[in-house]
Amino acid sequence: MEAVPLDAFLAEMARCRADAEAMLAAAADGAAVERARVEFLGARNGRLKGIQKGLGTVEPAARRDAGRHFNDLKDWLTVAIAAAQDRVAAAPATAEAAIDVTLPGTPVPLGHLHPITQTIRRVQEIMSRLGFESVDGPEVEDQWHNFDALAISPEHPARDPLDNFFLQVARGNDPLLLRSQTSTVQIRVMERRRPPLRIVSLGRVYRPDTADATHYPMFHQVEGLLVEPGTTMAHLKTTLRLLASSFLGAGVRVRFRPAFFPFTEPSVEVDMEWGGRWVEMGGAGMVDPAVLTAVGLDPDAVSGFAFGLGVERIAARRHGVADIRDFYRNDVRFLRQF
Amino acid sequence: MLVSRDWLSDYLRLDAPTEALAERLLMAGLNLEAIHAAGNDTVIELEVTSNRPDCLGHVGVARELAVLLGLPLHLPDPRPLESGPPADVAVTIEDADICPCYTARVIRGVRVGPSPKWLIERLRAIGVEPVNNLVDVTNYVLFECGQPLHAFDLARIRGRRIIVRRAREGESFTALNHRDYHLTPAMGVIADADGPVALAGVMGGLGTEIGADTVDVLLESAQFAPLVVRAAARGLALASPSSYRFERGPDPAAVDWASRRACQLIVEMAGGTLAASPVAAGRLQAPQATVPLRGGRVAEVLGMDVDDQRQRNILGGLGFVEAPAGGTDSRWLAPTWRRDCTREIDLVEEIGRIEGYAHVPDEVPLSARRVEVGPRERIGRVATDLLVGIGFCEALTRSVVPIEAETTESPWTTRPALSIAPPLVRGADRLRRSLLPSLLEARSGNAAVGAGRADLFEVARAYLPTAAETAVDGPLKEPFLVSLVTGGDFPLAKGIVEALLTRLRIGVEAWSEGAERVEWRPVDLDLFTGGRAAEVVLHREGRQPERIAVVGEIAVGQLAQRSLEAPVAAAEVRLDCLEFAIGRDVVLRAASDSPAVHRDINLVLDRAVPWGTVAAVIGESGGPLLERFHLVQVWEDAERLGTGRKSLVVALALRPRSGSLSGEEANTVVAGIVTACAGRLGAELRR
Repeated sequence: MEAVPLDAFLAEMARCRADAEAMLAAAADGAAVERARVEFLGARNGRLKGIQKGLGTVEPAARRDAGRHFNDLKDWLTVAIAAAQDRVAAAPATAEAAIDVTLPGTPVPLGHLHPITQTIRRVQEIMSRLGFESVDGPEVEDQWHNFDALAISPEHPARDPLDNFFLQVARGNDPLLLRSQTSTVQIRVMERRRPPLRIVSLGRVYRPDTADATHYPMFHQVEGLLVEPGTTMAHLKTTLRLLASSFLGAGVRVRFRPAFFPFTEPSVEVDMEWGGRWVEMGGAGMVDPAVLTAVGLDPDAVSGFAFGLGVERIAARRHGVADIRDFYRNDVRFLRQF
Repeated sequence: MLVSRDWLSDYLRLDAPTEALAERLLMAGLNLEAIHAAGNDTVIELEVTSNRPDCLGHVGVARELAVLLGLPLHLPDPRPLESGPPADVAVTIEDADICPCYTARVIRGVRVGPSPKWLIERLRAIGVEPVNNLVDVTNYVLFECGQPLHAFDLARIRGRRIIVRRAREGESFTALNHRDYHLTPAMGVIADADGPVALAGVMGGLGTEIGADTVDVLLESAQFAPLVVRAAARGLALASPSSYRFERGPDPAAVDWASRRACQLIVEMAGGTLAASPVAAGRLQAPQATVPLRGGRVAEVLGMDVDDQRQRNILGGLGFVEAPAGGTDSRWLAPTWRRDCTREIDLVEEIGRIEGYAHVPDEVPLSARRVEVGPRERIGRVATDLLVGIGFCEALTRSVVPIEAETTESPWTTRPALSIAPPLVRGADRLRRSLLPSLLEARSGNAAVGAGRADLFEVARAYLPTAAETAVDGPLKEPFLVSLVTGGDFPLAKGIVEALLTRLRIGVEAWSEGAERVEWRPVDLDLFTGGRAAEVVLHREGRQPERIAVVGEIAVGQLAQRSLEAPVAAAEVRLDCLEFAIGRDVVLRAASDSPAVHRDINLVLDRAVPWGTVAAVIGESGGPLLERFHLVQVWEDAERLGTGRKSLVVALALRPRSGSLSGEEANTVVAGIVTACAGRLGAELRR
């Protein structure tokens, strides 16, 4: 067989490329592009296949060069056909096949976390970064954990049977009640573990308030406790400032007003700056030495602070809930907004 | 506590605007409720915490302002002339535990009439309606120093005797408000020779009331035990300014001061002569603590420095008297009106409060600490996030429910629900033993208001009565549950529970490796439709099998009671029983690169054989090459399969750890499975 000169081989490839360009440019739909693909890249009778067969007939000295040009053509064809396929796929074949993109999408189930849970989780997350571990305890409590260990004396009005939900059964001789604060958990932790301690206790608490827009006999508290040697009120204020500014926004400060709680001393009400004014967020204070003694700690060797926040109050303010009873109606039209 | 600015000005010179004064009081612990005008006067409404009865009178508030503003305080020193003959009244305290000390002064020859204008204006400013000059004086002194007083018409005290004692069972009494009260021995009375003339510490009696014709007056000033006064005020729903103060404990020193002050004012305004030598019984309880204060302690607690001299000025201004002590430490005698101050920490609080907590730094370094997220919190989040992710709304329902909600069987106990008093809300006094009735109620509530299909879940505790004799953890347990209700059928609810168990990596598939196995068994609970409910039993090595969940379709009758439409399926899972799975690390099993071989088998067997049994046999007989399998189809056809028979089409996926599986090897595995099913279950292979 007579050797084919390189020029002639290159010319044939140039024709092939020009024909492919023209055919692809004219192809308006997938079928036309497919015809072009078969014409040029078809595995049996494609033109490239023919050219490949001709490669062996090129004069030996130029065969290497011809091979390189052949590969370039093959790559170009592959890319050009793929691009043409994408082009025709992107364009709707006909106007009838186009969809109304303003139609609703296929609904996927979307659940909702209760705003109270969202608020609790947010506080937990922030406090966790400050080293506070979330802990849990029983809701039905005894006198020791709900009152005595918290320095609430037997004659304190908070112990009045009318101000608590007492169970009709007792543990031995010890009356039981639904806990009136989550501080009970702090006592349980301090009894079990030695300082340093940083915990947040959270959950449901119960007080016999008549339900109205701002009261409910069951509500949620988040309480923080830190017990470490050398703790001062400055640590309390710093912690609450970090909580407030993380929760409500940078620059938010806290203010302490003197208050009275049996289990902390000094005791303060905590106000946070929210929406340009001071909003009462909860109570706080240094753990009363009597509480430390009650759980077997030496108040001269270790000190601590505690704070408690009313979750409903925070969530109500944050979300503009005017009636806190809405938190417990479980109306899905309410829940789905969160 | 309503405070008149004009009245305060009797005791100290006030130049600052009322708002500024109120702000100082607010930041020192007297919470500001409101400020309003009253004629030419301005009234500040303060909330006084229960530890500060001294601030339930103008003198106490004035003292706070004096120390806050650094102003001198001028208090009256009443020394009325005792010009009449001694009082001929006998006072006896029968029950000293209700009344440690009782004093009586007698003024003879008064003229009862209206009070002067200044007194009327002051009382009206703080919301007290004037009555007559005698009663008005007792009220005035009450709101001046916080010590309640009572004036009796001496002529109407029978037998010239005052007896302080507990009320007798069945005794009754007509109070100043013209209402009759039935008394109990928990309450105290002031009686004369015939019976009660006043309810101790709460209210006087109608029979001895001061009237226009009163000539001789007996003025009571006493100490009453807080619990006795509270019992009466609460028990009879008869709270008064007096009972409010006695419940908190007025200044003991004011018992005599208030008596002298009132006598002075009565003689000034109503004339008359004060009898010599007041009659007193009992012993005044006036404990005064001497409290040590270590140098440097203030900074150790408050985290701010307060100069030593400033500390002394604050305590001195509040009425504390320094006693000799050594070195940098000091000792302080607490004033009679501050019985809340008995410990060093109380002094530290006083200094911090007056100095102002605004000075406490809020940018001190906090050390870093390790933090754990406990299994309880984590498992709650796993369940919550899963259910929110598949379209459920989280509900929060009440822990305490009406008895009707507790009439259905609990999945967790056969003991009846425990009850509380008072009810949480009207009619709801049972501690719930399951969350399911509450969630059905919530779903029903949504349906009633047309809120639509409510797929709800809740993560909360239930309260299960236990055998009461176990004193340590009795008489109840609080399991931690997740419950859900959905408008679907049993398979949907089961699928959700399986998804939760899978998420917790607790062996859902019967043949799975690991120490535990989950078994689904039919269950009968009246909440569920018979035959369409299951319990989930967890088998763990070395433990008793335990029920960890119930799943079922709610019975039609239960739906009808709540006006709910079928179908409703529900599930309740004991998260507390599953916490063990939380700490387990995932250990990756590398996916095999070998190609899988897929084979379907069609087994025909007795319809009574549950799939769970078949699955267990397939799993055990499949060996290590059986990667997974699932049920494709179940069908019954008496003609083609025979009566009481069913066909199960099962898809098998076989895959070796490495290399590839030949057709013959695959056939061997499948044959082994078929043989096992035939031998153990009587299954035939249908071709």
